[in-house]
Amino acid sequence: MSALIFIAIFGIIVLYLGFANNKAILAPVAIGGLLITMALSIKDWGVGSKYFHDMIMVDNFSIAFNVSMLIITTLIFLFGVNYYKRMEHHVAEQYALMIFALTGAFLMTSYSNLIMLFLGIEILSIPLYILAGGKKSSYRSNEASFKYFLLGSFSTAFFLFGIALVYGASSTFYLPEISTYIAQFNGHLPPMLMVGLLFILIGVSFKVAVAPFHFWSPDVYEGAPTLVTAFMATVVKTAGFAAFYRLLGIGLLPLPAALEKTLWVMTGLSLLVGNLAALKQSNFKRLLAYSAIVHTGFMLLAMLSQHDSAGSVLLYYTFVYSLATIPLFIIFIHMKRSAKGLEDLVIFRGLYKQKPWVAVFMTILLMSLAGLPPTSGFMAKYQVFTLAISQGYLAISIFAIIMAIIGVYYYFYVLREAFTDSDEPNPILIPFLNAALIIACGIAVVLLGLFTFTIPI
Amino acid sequence: MILLIILLLPLVTGLGILFLRNACTVRIVALTSTIVNLVLTFVLMGSSPAASFSAEWTNLMGIKLALGFDGISLLMLLLTNLLFPFIILAGFKREQKQVSVLNFLILLTQAALIGVFLSQNAFLFYIFWELTLIPIYFILLLWGGENSRAVTLKFFIYTLAGSLFLLIGIIYLVQLTPGIHSTDFSVLNQLHIPAATQIWLFWVLFIAFAIKMPIFPFHTWQPNTYTMASTQGVMILGGVMTKMGIYGALRFLFPMVPQGVLYWQNIVLVMCLIGVVYASVIAFRQTNLKRLIAFSSMAHISLMAAALFIYNYYAAQGLLFQVVTHGLTVVALFYMVQLIQDKTNTLELPQMGGLKHAAPKMAILLLMIVLVSVALPLTGGFIGEFLIIIGLAKQSIWMALFGGTTMILGAIYMLYAYQRIMLGDKNISFKNTTDLVRLDYWMLIPLIAILFILGIYPQPILNLVEVSANTMQNLLTSATGIVTTMSH
Repeated sequence: MSALIFIAIFGIIVLYLGFANNKAILAPVAIGGLLITMALSIKDWGVGSKYFHDMIMVDNFSIAFNVSMLIITTLIFLFGVNYYKRMEHHVAEQYALMIFALTGAFLMTSYSNLIMLFLGIEILSIPLYILAGGKKSSYRSNEASFKYFLLGSFSTAFFLFGIALVYGASSTFYLPEISTYIAQFNGHLPPMLMVGLLFILIGVSFKVAVAPFHFWSPDVYEGAPTLVTAFMATVVKTAGFAAFYRLLGIGLLPLPAALEKTLWVMTGLSLLVGNLAALKQSNFKRLLAYSAIVHTGFMLLAMLSQHDSAGSVLLYYTFVYSLATIPLFIIFIHMKRSAKGLEDLVIFRGLYKQKPWVAVFMTILLMSLAGLPPTSGFMAKYQVFTLAISQGYLAISIFAIIMAIIGVYYYFYVLREAFTDSDEPNPILIPFLNAALIIACGIAVVLLGLFTFTIPI
Repeated sequence: MILLIILLLPLVTGLGILFLRNACTVRIVALTSTIVNLVLTFVLMGSSPAASFSAEWTNLMGIKLALGFDGISLLMLLLTNLLFPFIILAGFKREQKQVSVLNFLILLTQAALIGVFLSQNAFLFYIFWELTLIPIYFILLLWGGENSRAVTLKFFIYTLAGSLFLLIGIIYLVQLTPGIHSTDFSVLNQLHIPAATQIWLFWVLFIAFAIKMPIFPFHTWQPNTYTMASTQGVMILGGVMTKMGIYGALRFLFPMVPQGVLYWQNIVLVMCLIGVVYASVIAFRQTNLKRLIAFSSMAHISLMAAALFIYNYYAAQGLLFQVVTHGLTVVALFYMVQLIQDKTNTLELPQMGGLKHAAPKMAILLLMIVLVSVALPLTGGFIGEFLIIIGLAKQSIWMALFGGTTMILGAIYMLYAYQRIMLGDKNISFKNTTDLVRLDYWMLIPLIAILFILGIYPQPILNLVEVSANTMQNLLTSATGIVTTMSH
C-alpha cells in the first residue's frame, strides 16, 4: 500500500523536477524512485492486506506483478536516458506520465472492486494517450494518439456499461460477492448479468489487444515514439493481464459456458490473426505489434486453463516476454537512426557485419520470442502448453503449436535480415548504456531459461 | 563424469576458439578437440556401462540433467565423434570467411548432437534436439551457396515444425506419468497408454523424426538444402543429423507407443519403400552431382527407415550397421564432391568428363567410395544393406524386392555419374588440374580404410551392434508382447 501512495506522489515530484531545467538528473531520480517503490512493495510480501473498504487487496500476486513491472520500467527508463537526449523540452513530463501510468497499473494488479479496476484502467490509459502523441510534429504520432484515445474511450464506455449492468443485476461492485452471486445460478445466468460480464470482458480484452479488439494496436505501436511503444508492449500488457487474471481468478471462474466459449474463440483468433498479419508486415514495429497479439493468445491459453498455477505462469511469461522485447526495440531504434528514419525490416541488414555481438544477442532475443530452447521464451511456452494439456485442452494446444511454427518464420525472417550484408552500409552507433542493456537482457533471457523458477502466487 | 566431459568438451573448445585469430590455429584446436573426444568415446566403450551423470536442474516438474547411455546411444555417439574430426578436417586449407565462428558453430552442433544421444529424459532430449538446429541454421545461412537465404529458412521452419509436434507429444506423455510428473525415459517407457491414444500419438511423435530422416513425403526440404549447403554443413546434415531421426524413433516410438507403431507399420513401410524407389529414380535423372548424392542419400535413408519399422533381428542389425557405414560414406562422398568442384569449377555432370587423365589417384579413390555406396560385396555398404534386405524378405518378398532397388538403381546412377565425371576423353578444360594433395589423403584414406575393413571383417561392429540390436529387439518383443496380450 505504501508503495502505491509513494509512487503516486513520486510522479508529481518528477513532474515538478521539470522546472529544474536539468535533463541529466531526471532519469537517475526516476529510477531511484522506482527502486524505492520496489523496496516498499517487497516489504509487504506475504503479509496480504486490504484497504479502502476492501476495494484494494494487496497480496503476493499483486506484489509479484508490481515488482515485475517496476523492473521492466526501470529498464525502459535506462533506455530513456539515451533516447531523450535529443529532446529539448518536456522530458520530465514523459517520465512523470509513465510513472502515473504505472500507478494505474498498480491499481489494476490489486483491485478487488470493479470501480477500482475502472480507475486503474483509466489512470493507466490517459497518460498513454498523451505519450502516444509524444512527437508533436509527427503526423503518425498524432494519428496514433488520436486513434488510441478514440477507440480507448469507446472500449471504456463498454466497460462502464458492463459494470453498470452487473451492478444492476447483483447490486455490488465487489468481485468476491459477484462471484457468489453468479454461483447461485449454476451456469444459467440472467441476460442482464450475461451481457454485463461480456461487456466487462470486452473492455479488458481491448486493453490487452485480444483479437478481434486488436485493431488499434498495430497503428498505435507504429505511430507512437519507440520508447512508448516499448512501454505499451511490456508494462501495459503485463498490467492488463494481471487485471484480466484477477477478474477471472477471484471473480468469474468458473466461467459460464457461453462466455468461456467466447474467450476460447478470442484466443484462437488472436493466434491466427496475429500470425497471419505478422507474416505480411514489412515495418518492424507493426511486426512486433502483431507478434504481441499472438503472445496475448498464448497467455490467454494459460489463463483459460483455469489452474492454480496459471498466475505464476503468466507472471513468468509476461516478464520474459518483456525482457526480450525491450532490447529489440533498443536495437531497432539504433538501426532506424542509422538508416535515417526508415522502419522497414531491411534496416537490419549489415548488423552482423558491423556489430556481430549485437546480432548474436538479437538471435537470442528473437529465439526467446519464437520460443526456442534453451531461452526463457521456450520455458514460458512449455509451461503454458503443460498447463493447457494437463487441463485437457489438447486440440487448442496443437493449434497453438502450429501458430508457434508460423511465428518462427517471421522472427527468423528478421534475423535473416540481420545476418545479410547491406548494400549501402551506414555506421551503426550504440552507446554504452544501451549496449549494456542489450547484453544484460540477453543474458537474463538465457539464464531465466536455464534456471527456471516458479514463484508461488 | 566422463559423459559430462564428452558433452562439454566441444562446447568449451568452441567458445575458446572464438578468441583465436589465426585460422590455422583455430582449425588445429578444433581438430584436436574432436580427436580427444573420439578417444574419450573409446575409453567410454571400454569402461563399465554404468557410467552416467545426473544433477538437479530446475524446480519445475523434476527436470534433471541426466546423462547416460545404452547400446544404441553408444553407437550414435561413436558415429558422431568419429565423423566430426573428418568434418573439421574438411575445412583445412580452404578459403573460408570467419573460420573461428564457423568452427565454433560446428563444435556447438557436435555438443548438441552428443547431448541428444546421451539425454536420459525427454525434456533434455528435446532441448538438445532443438539446439542442434541453431548452429546448423547459421552454418547453412552464412556459409551456404547461392539462394541460401530462402532455402535455409524453409529447412528451419520445416524441421522446427516437426520438433514442435514432438514437444506436444512429450508434454502429453509427461502428463500421463503418475504422481509427481517426470520426464525420464525410464518412467515414460513404463506408461501403458490406451491403444486409441497411441494411434494418434504415434503421428504427433513420428512427424519430427520423419522430417529429420527424411521419409517420403516429408523430404522436400532435403535436396535443396543439401545442394546449397557448404561441404561441412552437408556432412553434418547427411552424416549425423539424419541419424537423429532414426535414434529418436528408436527412443520414443517403439518403447512408448508400440501399438501405434504396429497399427501404422504397413503404411509407414510403404512410405519408406516409395521413398527408396522415388529417390533412386530421381537421382538418376539429376544433372547436378550434389543433388544426385542428396537423392541417393535419401534412398539409403529410406531403406534404413524401412528396416527400422520392419523390426526384426536382421533388419535391426543391418540398420545399426548401416547407420555407421552410411555416415562414413556420406562424408567421404561429399568431400569428393568438393574436390571435384574445386578441380572442374562445376557440379553439372554434362560439363564434366575425363577427369581421370588429370587426377588418376583421385579417380581410384572416388571409384572405391562409389563402390561402397552401391553396396558392393566386401565393402561396408554391403553388410548393412544385405542384412536389411534379409530382414525385409522375412516380412515379405515384395518389400525385399523394392528395398533391393536401392542397390540396383544405386549402382546404375552412381556408376553412370562416375563415368560422366572421370571417364571419356573430354579433358580440355582441366589442363591445370592437379591430383590429390597430402591433406586429401589424410581425409579420404582413413574413411575408405574403415569402410573396407568393415566390409571384409564386420565382426567388431557387429559385436557392438549386437548389444544394440538386442536392446532394440527386447523393446520390440515386449511391444509385440503387449499387443498380443491386448488382442487376446
